[in-house]
Parts: sequence; structure tokens; C-alpha cells
Amino acid sequence: MSQNKNLPVIATDLTAGFGGTRVLDSVSMDAAEHSITMILGASGCGKTTLLKNLIRLLDPWSGSIRIFGQEITGMDEPEFNGILRGIGVLFQNGALLNSISIAENVAIPLEQHTELPRELISRLARVKLGLVGLENASSRFPSELSGGMRKRAALARAIALDPPLLFCDEPSSGLDPVTASGLDHLLLEMRDKLGMTLVIVSHTVSSIQRIADRIVFMDAGKVLFRGTIREARSAGIEKMEEFFKNG
Amino acid sequence: MRPEASVSRRQNRLVFRGQIVIATVPFLLSETEVIEPVRGGALTLDLAGVDHVDTAGVAFLDALRSRIEKNGLECRIENAGERNARTLEVFSSRKFDSQAPVRPPGRENIFEKLGGRAMRIFGNLHQFFLLLADTFYYAIIGLFNRRGMRKGDFINQSILIGMNSLPIVGLISFLIGFILALQSAAQLRQFGAAIFVADLIAIAMTREMGPLITAIVLAGRSGSAITAEIATMMVTEETDALRSMALNPVRYVVVPKVYAITMTMPMLTILSMLIGIFGAMVIGLVYLDIGMEPFYREVVNALILKDILTGFIKSVVFAWLIVMIGAYYGFQVRTGAEEVGRATTASVVASIFWVILADSLLGLAFYLGQPVFV
Repeated sequence: MSQNKNLPVIATDLTAGFGGTRVLDSVSMDAAEHSITMILGASGCGKTTLLKNLIRLLDPWSGSIRIFGQEITGMDEPEFNGILRGIGVLFQNGALLNSISIAENVAIPLEQHTELPRELISRLARVKLGLVGLENASSRFPSELSGGMRKRAALARAIALDPPLLFCDEPSSGLDPVTASGLDHLLLEMRDKLGMTLVIVSHTVSSIQRIADRIVFMDAGKVLFRGTIREARSAGIEKMEEFFKNG
Repeated sequence: MRPEASVSRRQNRLVFRGQIVIATVPFLLSETEVIEPVRGGALTLDLAGVDHVDTAGVAFLDALRSRIEKNGLECRIENAGERNARTLEVFSSRKFDSQAPVRPPGRENIFEKLGGRAMRIFGNLHQFFLLLADTFYYAIIGLFNRRGMRKGDFINQSILIGMNSLPIVGLISFLIGFILALQSAAQLRQFGAAIFVADLIAIAMTREMGPLITAIVLAGRSGSAITAEIATMMVTEETDALRSMALNPVRYVVVPKVYAITMTMPMLTILSMLIGIFGAMVIGLVYLDIGMEPFYREVVNALILKDILTGFIKSVVFAWLIVMIGAYYGFQVRTGAEEVGRATTASVVASIFWVILADSLLGLAFYLGQPVFV
């Protein structure tokens, strides 16, 4: 693993779980600046738990997590809130607030964390919704949208502040192939034009092959492989080969 | 490091430097609030000195260009560099300038408002009676065929709705009986009629207070729980899942609650009556020097079977009102967490209102035209 302590994300020897059940076992991974790192593995291998630990929705049992060079385990809440302002998160089910329109959902972080005037916030919200193909649905409520549309609206909210670091949990699950491909291109634009660092949990092989700079392959709570897709092909890890073959 | 930006005017050019990003946009907005008149009819936004533009920066530049163009001037961006030019293109909001802004629907006139409200009321009533019919139908069917209901749910619901409510119903009934006796004793003593406290409390508790206290406690405690449970099931698509498994949500969720509340509510009501009378008996003993035996005899003499039956019938009617209103509000929820809270509150308020209204109507029906203490 890289020795550079200022990488956007570094997790070292992370052990975590629920109750007495260990889900992550000495997991180490990192994500380089302006890159897309994808965390892959079969269902139940601990991908989402790792992601939730990285954004401190769960506290690890032991180990270290550094975000933008700062150790976040044990950090007090106001200080961590400062770090969270530089992070966007796309949840697996979108997690939009159902009582307001999707444009208002996208506007929440802009209203809360910037000094921008209302007119510009409204314009920005429409731009973000336009990026995910929902410019004509801005006044609709989440309950009026399909699952895929909700996920795209949630992505628009996650990128509202142009965060330097974006975490995505299964962004292309539940989307049709064309929309999924469009979403992948958008994520690439985020990396290339806005210089974002993306950490994406996924098990969609086509998406992994399209956009991943580096992959972290997990199985039963352990990291079996870290590297590029090219390196993965020659790594000779049976479970990973099976994953790519059948994915 | 905090990003910095500046803007300066050179003849027909606005020259930007630094970073046009979310942190610097408020400053740049204030700097470009007033734009001096332009000669030649064109203004250029020069981005040669700009290192980085983010989406907020793009939105700012687009809004600035729109504002300038609205004044009849031409406005163009120059020297953006390859990377920034691509960012400006990808994240452009210019296309929204030509689109009409999203407007809320127009205001309704008084007739549309009245009509809309009437339609909603009829729609709601229609929904309520459909639910009532479904519940009644499946409750009858369920007596002969237990399929479509979870095993053991009747017992669980009886414990949740009935047994777990007993302590609070008991405590409140005792306190109400105690307070009523205390207040009435103070008046009746003046006429040497203290013994009639027993008659007064016995009749009040059996005809009115027992059923009413129990119903109000259960509306707040169990009615809200019924609404919240069903509303959450609606939001999380559990009711759809039941339908997809060929299970009727009314039969599966509501009917066991109807059985449970129909059985437990009269029991709770009778306990409430007894505990309330006991509360009054304590006042008789401590404050009025009336022994338990004469108090008991007076209570027995004062009550007739009709009083007990009235309380019993009321309790069953209140039970059905609570469970049906709770279920109705639960099934109306479509969206999210906020609506669950709203439905729960509305359900409790409606239950208490309808219970009190039904109490008044039943009181009139049972005792209209008769002397009060018969």
C-alpha cells in the first residue's frame, strides 16, 4: 500500500462488524487522488460495511482511517463535519428526503453549506439534475420517480457541492444498460473535469471494466487483491477470476 | 489552502484570475453586481488567468452572461484553456435560460377550492367504507377460515393492545375516580348527602368515564401504533409484498387487531369502571368516613344492568372506531417518514374526536327521554 499519508482515503488494518459478528477482518485499502477506486466482491463480503466505516456511519473495532490525510477514528463530531463537507455519498437506495422535490433535495447541501444566492442555487440544482438526465423532473417528488431515476437524483445531490471525494454504493444497480453506461461516463467526467476522487462499491463487471483505475477485491471480509484490472487478470486469484467470468 | 479569485475591468473585458469555484463565487458575484456601460456592444469574459472552474463557477459565469445579454449586449468567453472550456461545455446551464422556469400550479378560485375539498371528502369516505367493508368481510371469514392471517397474531395483538395497556388505564381510572369523588364530596357534604358520592361515581364510571378513559388511552397508545405500523409497511412496500404473495393486507394486518381490540377493550373498560369506583371508595373511607361496606351497598343499589350494558356497548363501538381509523390513516400513507408522523398524529386526533362524538350520540340514544338517574 502507498506510503503517502496525504492520499484522500487510507484504511489500515480495519476490523469491524455488528454485535459480535466480525464483517471486516484487517482490511487495508487506499484511493489515489483524481482516480476511481472500485471495491468489488460477492454479496455479503463486507463492501458496504467498509464504505460505511469510511464515512463513519459505523465505527470500526480497530484500525485506522485517514481521509484527506486526517485520522477520522475518534475525531470529534464538529471536526468530522468539516471533513464531511468535502465528501459526497450516493447511497444504495438513494436515501432522498421524500417530503420535498428532487430539486429541493439537491439544493439542501448548497443551502446549508454555501453562501450562494437562491437564484444560483436553483440554477446549480438544475444543472446537477441535467447532468443525470432529470432536468425535466426537477419539481417531482421521489415517490413519483422510478428506482433508477431516484438513484440518479441521489447522485445529483451527492455531487451538489463538487466534493473532492465521492463515495458511491452500487451506483449502477437497478439501472438499464444505457443509463448505467451514461452514469459511468458522468463519473469519468467528474474525475477528469472536476478532479474528483471516487470510491465506488460495485459488482457490475461492465461498469468496473469501463471506469475503474484501481480495484479492491474482497471476499468474506478480507481484501484478496488491490491493483489495476490488468494486474488482476494475471494475479491468479481463483475467486476473482470467477467473479469477472460470471459477473 | 483557501481558494482565491479576483476580477478586474479592462475596457470591454472582465479579466478573471485564480479559481472560480463554490468558495469564491459569492465574492465574484458581489464584484460583478454592477457592470459599467460597455462601448461597442460586446463584453468579453477573459479566463486566461483562471486555474480552475467548478460547477458553481460555471453556473456563475452562465448567469453573468445571461444578465449581460438581457441588456442587449453580446457576451463571450475567451482564453478559457482546453480543460476549463470543456468544463464550461459539460456543466453548462445555458440551456435552462431559454426554458420557461418551473412555475407552481395557478391559484384556484373559490369554487375550485370548494369542489376540490368536497371531492377529497367523498374520496376519503369512499376509501374508509371500502376498508370497513373489507375488514368486516375478512373478520367474518376469518372466524371460519384462519388462512391469510399470521399464526399467533391474535394473542400477540391482545397482549400489545390489551394487557400492556392495563397499567396506564388502571392508574388513570383510579385517579379520575379519586378526583371526581373528592370534588363532588365537597359539594354533597354541605347537604348531608355525602353517601350519594357512591351513586354518582358508580353511574359516571359505568356509563361514561370508564369507556371514555379506556378509549382515549387506547386511541393514543394503540391507535397511533396501528397507524405507524401500517404506514411504515406502506412506505417500505411490505403491503405490496403481501399482495404479491396473494395475501390481503387488510386480512393479514388489520383483522387480528380487530379481534384483539374487540376482546380486550370491554375487559379493560370493566376494569376501568371497577378501579375508578375503588378510587372513589378510598375518598369515602379517608375523607367522608363512609366504610367500604355501606359504600359497596350504595354502589350496587345505584347501578342497574342497563348501565353496565351501556358501557359495554360503548366500549365495543369505540374499539372498532380506534382500529378502523388507525388502519385507514395508515393505508393512506404513500411517501416517506414525514407522512408517517403526520398520519399518526391525524389518526390519534380523529380517533379521540370520533370517540367523543360517538359517546355523545350513544348517550343520547340510550337515555334520551328518560330521567337521568334511572
